[in-house]
Amino acid sequence: MEISTKEYRVWIEGTKIHYEGTMRLSGTDAYAPILSLMNDVLQSKPDEITLDLTELEFLNSSGINLLAKFTIEVRKQPDISIRVNGSKAVPWQSKSLKNLQRLHPALELTIS
Amino acid sequence: MQFGTPTLSNSADAKSIRIVISSDAIDLSWHHCGTTSDFISEFFSKACDSDIDANDAHHSINYLINEILENAIKFRYTDDIVITGSLEMNSFEICITNTVNSDTAERFQEVLSELLSRDPGELLLEKIEQNAMDMSSGGSGLGLLTLMNDYDARLGWAFDKVPEQSQVRLATVAALTLS
Repeated sequence: MEISTKEYRVWIEGTKIHYEGTMRLSGTDAYAPILSLMNDVLQSKPDEITLDLTELEFLNSSGINLLAKFTIEVRKQPDISIRVNGSKAVPWQSKSLKNLQRLHPALELTIS
Repeated sequence: MQFGTPTLSNSADAKSIRIVISSDAIDLSWHHCGTTSDFISEFFSKACDSDIDANDAHHSINYLINEILENAIKFRYTDDIVITGSLEMNSFEICITNTVNSDTAERFQEVLSELLSRDPGELLLEKIEQNAMDMSSGGSGLGLLTLMNDYDARLGWAFDKVPEQSQVRLATVAALTLS
């Protein structure tokens, strides 16, 4: 399962969702296919989901809203744990990903 | 009418840039937000003093301009968008002006009154929770809240009625301290 454009790529490996490139889509509707792909992983009821954002160089606020909505969906299912991996080389991640942990304190955030 | 602090303090000696996105000349669309913010952030990150983290400056300027331009493009009444940016030491300032119709201006003023009346961090989480309950919601003001809370951006807005017309000229001013 993969969504790929000139600007970005999102794909699934097992229960890990990878993001790469620059995502500046115009709003909730434009992000819907990506949310749908993420929800497919959630609906398979894995023990753990990982969002690998280390290669996602840019995300606009609509995209941050997408990650936040998904985090809240995962929060509703206490049997499923969530890890979010980020990179110190990508400044938005150190600035904005902590908000996901505030929404869902059990979320394991690693920025390395 | 003004909200926040829509004033600029960099001097005339600051490194500066002025860009006009002319709606007559190009078919203005979404991707112009990204290409414009990429260009301006590239320009200023290369102009930074060596004690400033150029990667962080590049990203912060890019995110800031992209979010304000997205609003300008989304809510504009057909007219030019003018962007002026300047950098002096570690102070980056930007002013983006565009025209909106009077209904849009009123709705935006209501959003701003709410944003400025609360702690941005708290309000950001509250808005995200509200959006999550309504899956079709796009999140009004979330971009501005991330700028205020995650980037410590200082923001201001000035609304001026266009003489003898129903449109309003909106100037959005933002300042970042680069480190």
